[in-house]
Amino acid sequence: MLFWVIAAILTLGASLAVLLPLAAGAKGASSSGDHDLEVYRDQLSELDRDAGRGLIQPAEAAEARAEIARRILRLDNADTAGQASAGQASVTVRLVATVAVLAVPLVSWGVYSQIGSPDLPAQPLSARLAKNPADSSVDELVARAEAHLAANPSDGRGWDVLAPVYLRMQRFSDAVAAYRNAIRLDGDSAVRQAGLGEAIAGAAGGIVSADAQDAFEAALKLDPANAKASFYLAVALAQEGRNKEAATAWQAMLGTLPQDSPWRSAVEQALAKSASPEVASGAAAKGPDASDVDAASSLSPQDREAMINTMVAGLDEKLRQNPRDPEGWMRLVRSYVVLGKADQAREALARAIAVFGAGSDEAKKFTAFAASLGLTATE
Amino acid sequence: MTRKQKRLSVIAGGLTFLGAATGLTFYALGQKASYFYMPADLTTASVQPGQRIRLGGLVEKGTIQRGQGATVGFSVTDTHKSVKVTYTGILPDLFREEQGVITEGSFGPDGVFVADSVLAKHDERYMPKEVADGLKAKGVWQESKSE
Amino acid sequence: MVETGHFALVLAFALSLVQTIVPLFGARLNNQRLMAVGGPVAVTGFALTALSFVALASAYANSDFSVASVWENSHSLQPMIYKITGTWGNHEGSMLLWVLILTFFGALVAAFGSNLPATLRANVLAVQGAIGAAFFLFILATSNPFIRLNPAPIEGRDLNPVLQDLGLAIHPPLLYLGYVGFSICFSFSVAALIEGRIDASWARWVRPWTLVAWMFLTGGIAMGSYWAYYELGWGGFWFWDPVENASFMPWLAGTALLHSAIVMEKRSALKIWTLLLAILTFSLSLLGTFLVRSGVLTSVHAFATDPARGVFILCILTLFIGGSLALFALRASRLTAGGLFHPISREGALVLNNLFLTTATATVLVGTLYPLALEALTGDKISVGAPFFDLTFGPLMLPLLVLVPFGPLLAWKRGDIIAASQRLMAAFATALAAMLVTGLFIDGASVFAALGIGLAVWLVAGALTDLAVKSGVGSVAPAVMFRRFAGLPRSVFGTALAHLGLGLTLLGIVATLSFGTEKILTMRAGETVELSGHTLRFVGLYPAQGPNYSEDRGRFELIGISGSPVGEISSAKRFYPVRQTTTTESGIKTLGLSQLYISLGDEAKDGSVVVRLWWKPLVTLIWGGGLVMMAGAAMSLMDRRLRVGAPSRRRKQAEAPAVLP
Repeated sequence: MLFWVIAAILTLGASLAVLLPLAAGAKGASSSGDHDLEVYRDQLSELDRDAGRGLIQPAEAAEARAEIARRILRLDNADTAGQASAGQASVTVRLVATVAVLAVPLVSWGVYSQIGSPDLPAQPLSARLAKNPADSSVDELVARAEAHLAANPSDGRGWDVLAPVYLRMQRFSDAVAAYRNAIRLDGDSAVRQAGLGEAIAGAAGGIVSADAQDAFEAALKLDPANAKASFYLAVALAQEGRNKEAATAWQAMLGTLPQDSPWRSAVEQALAKSASPEVASGAAAKGPDASDVDAASSLSPQDREAMINTMVAGLDEKLRQNPRDPEGWMRLVRSYVVLGKADQAREALARAIAVFGAGSDEAKKFTAFAASLGLTATE
Repeated sequence: MTRKQKRLSVIAGGLTFLGAATGLTFYALGQKASYFYMPADLTTASVQPGQRIRLGGLVEKGTIQRGQGATVGFSVTDTHKSVKVTYTGILPDLFREEQGVITEGSFGPDGVFVADSVLAKHDERYMPKEVADGLKAKGVWQESKSE
Repeated sequence: MVETGHFALVLAFALSLVQTIVPLFGARLNNQRLMAVGGPVAVTGFALTALSFVALASAYANSDFSVASVWENSHSLQPMIYKITGTWGNHEGSMLLWVLILTFFGALVAAFGSNLPATLRANVLAVQGAIGAAFFLFILATSNPFIRLNPAPIEGRDLNPVLQDLGLAIHPPLLYLGYVGFSICFSFSVAALIEGRIDASWARWVRPWTLVAWMFLTGGIAMGSYWAYYELGWGGFWFWDPVENASFMPWLAGTALLHSAIVMEKRSALKIWTLLLAILTFSLSLLGTFLVRSGVLTSVHAFATDPARGVFILCILTLFIGGSLALFALRASRLTAGGLFHPISREGALVLNNLFLTTATATVLVGTLYPLALEALTGDKISVGAPFFDLTFGPLMLPLLVLVPFGPLLAWKRGDIIAASQRLMAAFATALAAMLVTGLFIDGASVFAALGIGLAVWLVAGALTDLAVKSGVGSVAPAVMFRRFAGLPRSVFGTALAHLGLGLTLLGIVATLSFGTEKILTMRAGETVELSGHTLRFVGLYPAQGPNYSEDRGRFELIGISGSPVGEISSAKRFYPVRQTTTTESGIKTLGLSQLYISLGDEAKDGSVVVRLWWKPLVTLIWGGGLVMMAGAAMSLMDRRLRVGAPSRRRKQAEAPAVLP
């Protein structure tokens, strides 16, 4: 409502700017000749000053004075010649004036009604953050925490709380930075190092890189019983093709993990997959990202499967829209293999090959990749 | 000299000046402009060693070699052909494997392209225009609206 | 608030239409009331545009991500200063700034133009209104900064990190003040063409605007050059990048205009040429806007590319440039030519200046547009860079620079070249000495370096000679001399300062290019390196956390003669997670007028870091000269001759009683 009042006032003001001069009486007009005369007079006085100061020679000054005088004379002639058209068609004047006055509200309200969003209030971030936390979404809570940390960047606890949230939200590089800050400010802990490792791996698309391994090893040094670190180090082994060692490591974990540990099911799954050795390399790392499987592992089995299926379906959909993504295709094929859906894996493989053409380099790569997963294209 | 002759000589002088400037401009365009090539273009175009050109493409995966000191070697590819490039200096911030890049320099006698400047794309959405056009023409790259 | 801004923008568009049509009819019908509409409408239009801009800026400051452009170009963690400068750090906001400045200048004409002939004032405001209407329409149709998002995203996508810098915060407003300032000269020219006559006061009115625009453009270019120098980390100060050229062309043409307007004002000569030059200068400003905004060029400066915008700006460009040139072709013959002069005279020198400057502008134009034309016609892609401009622009500038000191010493109408040369003997001797000293005593100085230094000193000494001669050094008693010096018109100081600044800039360029040194090496913590007599120790890399980035800061110590550190320089690699972008923050240490410049490269596996170091002697003079040129323009603006209104109004009041019965 307030907006409409302001808009109306603004329109009124703008219309008045047009209306008032039209309504006011005509002021006495000076012909342009008067203006020119002023300039020439000023030139003459300036000439006198320059001559007085000795900036120009007397002879030059005299010459220049004569020239300006000639211009003034010419001015008089021109002025008498150009005094013809004065009072003119008042109908036209009235028409132009009317159109002008009407144009302001018509154009502005017309255009604004097409492109404006009058019902949408301004939403400054601070106002949104000041809302009751219970009404806020996770995103808003994160934004609030970020605002807090921006103001107090040395609040280690804050980073510590935020880091795992980032990880859940798959904002991996933010998670890496947050874990690093937490470690820097609040000191090392196994949980933080393991989280850091997971974040680095997540940022690298699930590959447990050397950096990530360093972090996991640091975590194990601090707490040899850290399940996450042990689990991912085994994943790293599997990714390097050392499946037996990976399986041994997971077996060892099953021996030590408490019965109610959420990690049990993840380890069992990984083991089950490593039993069919060709897919072990992709086990937990690709398709749904490791962290998703992790997140999923705390859900009920039905929910977990639903979540993984949704993500794979999402990837499938994305590739339909944007098919020239060899990496994506490989991830999809592997995901289906991991989920045990061999038919769909084969179908995805066929589609991938079709996109790039049967003879292409990519197609060869796909075939080789599928073979490494124990999958053969049905041709 | 009469007034007319004077005016003519001024005009003639001005025209000579403009003529000389025009000639110089076109000479310089012929001599100093550097052409842009993708690696596959080099098989058809004749580029002499020492001739300044701009070479664009993608940085081929796994080819970045940091040699002694600040010299870096890498290959620029358009996925059909690739060309070895050496460069001494600081690579741009956005220089990465499989990203678009434009290098400027000339071929040495050994067929290695010696670059004296390397430009990389400068934000997520931006691919050097020449490289994008070239890759599109070769059917390698497609515009995607996905962020 | 946001929608109020949006509505104000639409209203300003409506007013710009009125401002175009009503005064134009008024001038045509010679109707005082219609003509009088122009002023209040221009002022109100400016107020509304300002309101709109403030609304947008406050949306940026408050991180209101329900506004699409804020969401795309801002982030809640950005420091407040970059939140605000982010308002114009993107396409939509910068176009709003463009029209804000345009309406501001229009309002100035309206407010201070009461002493202009009524029809001229009405026509000028109408042309300004037309330019405004075109750009308002452009903004509303293709680049509306007030497009809303509902529901509002939680977090923005951050401003391009390269633009998160104070230098870039100031650069666009300065540049736009320059570009758009020339719109006033353009409007005056078109108004004169519409009327078919040029008043004597025309040049007096146009010259201060040219000076203002030129001053800001000089500042904008210098600022942009310094920004590129320290932010891009390449150590270069001018790249002949098409976007830089886009701002340089109006500057060159504007410089020519500045000089030809003097002739027109003093001698009523060169009227038609000055008119054309004013049109061309603003056309080049529009062309610059088109090149940058359309995405025809891809460059470090181009924020975004969108073909619809390009086509729209191209239409504006065609309409205004084509229209004004057509009008010029129709009407120019009706304008009367002015006074005559001898080739060797102040006028002659200024004509020569114009000849060189416009030709130089043309070569830059060709160098900038030729690659675009060639690609469009044949598909060949070429790049035209420094080597081209060295060969074309350089040879044109050299004779011009040699001739600069002669100009102010020649008399109007008929000059005495021999007398002028005699007066310049001292300056010539100084330049010769500088040249010899450079060539003989500085190691590794090339002939070009010596000539360049000599030329720079010649310009500086020539500018000082001008002041000395005009205050009568050597011919009058010291007391008289001092009085004369103090009484010199401000414009004389302005000329001398501008030419002096030119010399200083040249000195900086020549010194940096000829005597600068550069090293690229890998360093480990604790290692030292020597560069042109300065010893630097690499202390090490230190990670740090900024508000919206993390960085690795490489610290260096400058080791003094005694072996102990005398200063610290640090260069950093910054990582902005939101955009996944890395930037290099160069480390700069100013020693006197010279600078040490450090740029950090990648960290190798073994912990060593690639480091690039430059020694840039007298480099600060490049931009310092620009500041001196600006000071010259400001000085000239204060000259009483340019305050046209003052004498005229006072005299009118004095005469008024005599007219009354």
